[in-house]
This record gives sequence, C-alpha cells and structure tokens, in this order.
Amino acid sequence: MTDRSRIVYGEDMGRPRGFDEAEVVRAAAALFADRVYDGVSVDDLVGHLGVHRNSLYKTFGSKRGLYLAALRRHLDDDVRPLAEAVAAADGPAAAADLVAGAGLDLLLLAAVERAPADPEVAALVGEALDVLDQALGAVLPAPDAAATGAFTSALLGLRIRARATDSTTEPGSAALARRFDIR
Amino acid sequence: MARIDIDGGDLVVTIEGMDKLWALKSRLSIPLTNVRGATIDPGAVKEPKGIRAPGAHLPGVIVAGTFHREGERVFWDVRDPAKAIVIELADERYARLIIQVDDPRAAVELIEGARHGA
Repeated sequence: MTDRSRIVYGEDMGRPRGFDEAEVVRAAAALFADRVYDGVSVDDLVGHLGVHRNSLYKTFGSKRGLYLAALRRHLDDDVRPLAEAVAAADGPAAAADLVAGAGLDLLLLAAVERAPADPEVAALVGEALDVLDQALGAVLPAPDAAATGAFTSALLGLRIRARATDSTTEPGSAALARRFDIR
Repeated sequence: MARIDIDGGDLVVTIEGMDKLWALKSRLSIPLTNVRGATIDPGAVKEPKGIRAPGAHLPGVIVAGTFHREGERVFWDVRDPAKAIVIELADERYARLIIQVDDPRAAVELIEGARHGA
C-alpha cells in the first residue's frame, strides 16, 4: 500500500472511537477469508463486527477501505511472522510444511478474486508473495529467483487443493521440498 | 436517481428526474481528495435517518434531501434500496451521500478507481 492510502485508510482521519479498531479489522479479515468480497455485505459486516454502520463508514471510508485494512493486517500479522519462521526453518522440507499448513485463505482469495480487478489489492498480494519468496529462498541450498517463485507458487497451490478437497498438504509438501532441495 | 460523473478532479453527483424537487438539490460537486470511498449498500436504508431538514421522507417510498443524525449531515436520494450506494466524504458540508444509481457496481468502481488515480 502506498503512503497515501495509509493516510486515507489509516489512523489519521479524525473520528469518534466507540470500538476497538484492531479487533474490528481482525474480525473483518476472518469474514473476508471465508467468503468472496461480493459475498460480504455491509449488513454482514455490521452484524458480525458489532460496529454501527456510520462508524464503519467514518473509520474505513468504504467496504473496500476495510477490506484493504484487513488484507494489510493479514500481511503484517500472519504472512510476515510465517515468513520469519520459514526463513529460520531447518531446511526446505520443514519450510514447506510451515507454508502449506499456514492459514493463508485471505491472501489466496485476494490473489484469485480481487487482485486482478484492484491495483491496491494486487500490490498487497505482490508484497506478500515477495515476502514468502524471500523466506523460502533463504532455506533453499542454491536459490534463484525463478526457483523460489516456483516453490512458493507450488506450495500455495497445494494449500488451495487441500482446502478444496478437505485433504492434507503433507505428502505433497514433502515431495515438493525434495524436488527443490537440489545442491 | 442520481448520475455519477468524474470531471477532472471532482466527483459530480447529478440528481435526475422528479427527485431533484424532493431533494431540493440537483448537483453536488466534490473534490476527489475529499471522497473517502464508495460502497454498494442495499441495507443502508434500514438505518435510522435522523431529522429531515429540508427534503422529503415518505417511508417506503422515497428518502430525499438532507438529514441530520448524531451531529452529521447526510444527503439522501433513494427510492429503490437495492440500488443504493454510500459515498463517504471528509471536510465537506455532508458527512456522506446515500444515493440511488442505475448501476451500483459500476458507480462504486468508477469512484474507487478515480480516488486511487487522484
């Protein structure tokens, strides 16, 4: 996200505070991770987040403003800590397990659904993928940009497949790690 | 019913048809820098609207004009709640506009896209 949008969606707008903004953004992230963007109405947000409609608009500007805040929070609170753990993992197999098993539904939905239509979402998704690429690159024995990008993509693909078929990512992530663990 | 246009750096809302009589306003021009966002919101009409002054409020038929609630001034022009969008403003006479447009999705995309480019 640009500095400008941080101001628009961030902390600088004057407004009354009758609620915990961080908590609201967290709850919104959970809703948006579960359903497509158009599947979450303002009625849903008002009902699930326990925030008045007017406060929602006053704080976030729009549903999209809240969505961008939720995606940014997912990146900072979920993706970055995951990447730190991945970079410190004991080899590609352990790193692959971490990525394939992580809760990245909001990122995956954003990548598939909103990013192609929304440049700000695309920028956040790109940032998240870069962070994961760097972390996985740190555990590959002979990393190059194309290989780490492919490793990240394949692990996220496994995650999508596991979610869709309600199956485990494990044999796939181990097989992938062996494939990329080339010295 | 309202029409939404982007004119240079401004968002222009034109109230069309008979509604402009009820709303007592036919055109609002707002710098995009004062537009904080736009949202499709068919449920907005169910909220308490506050005190109307001036304009028309025939519950179930039309909400048009200026309403005051919780210290905020809100401009309404809605007959069909399914086509309502909410435009949040900053540093303007109105805190937000809740208006009916022909194509809510296109209107919201136009406004959000123009904000991003502004």
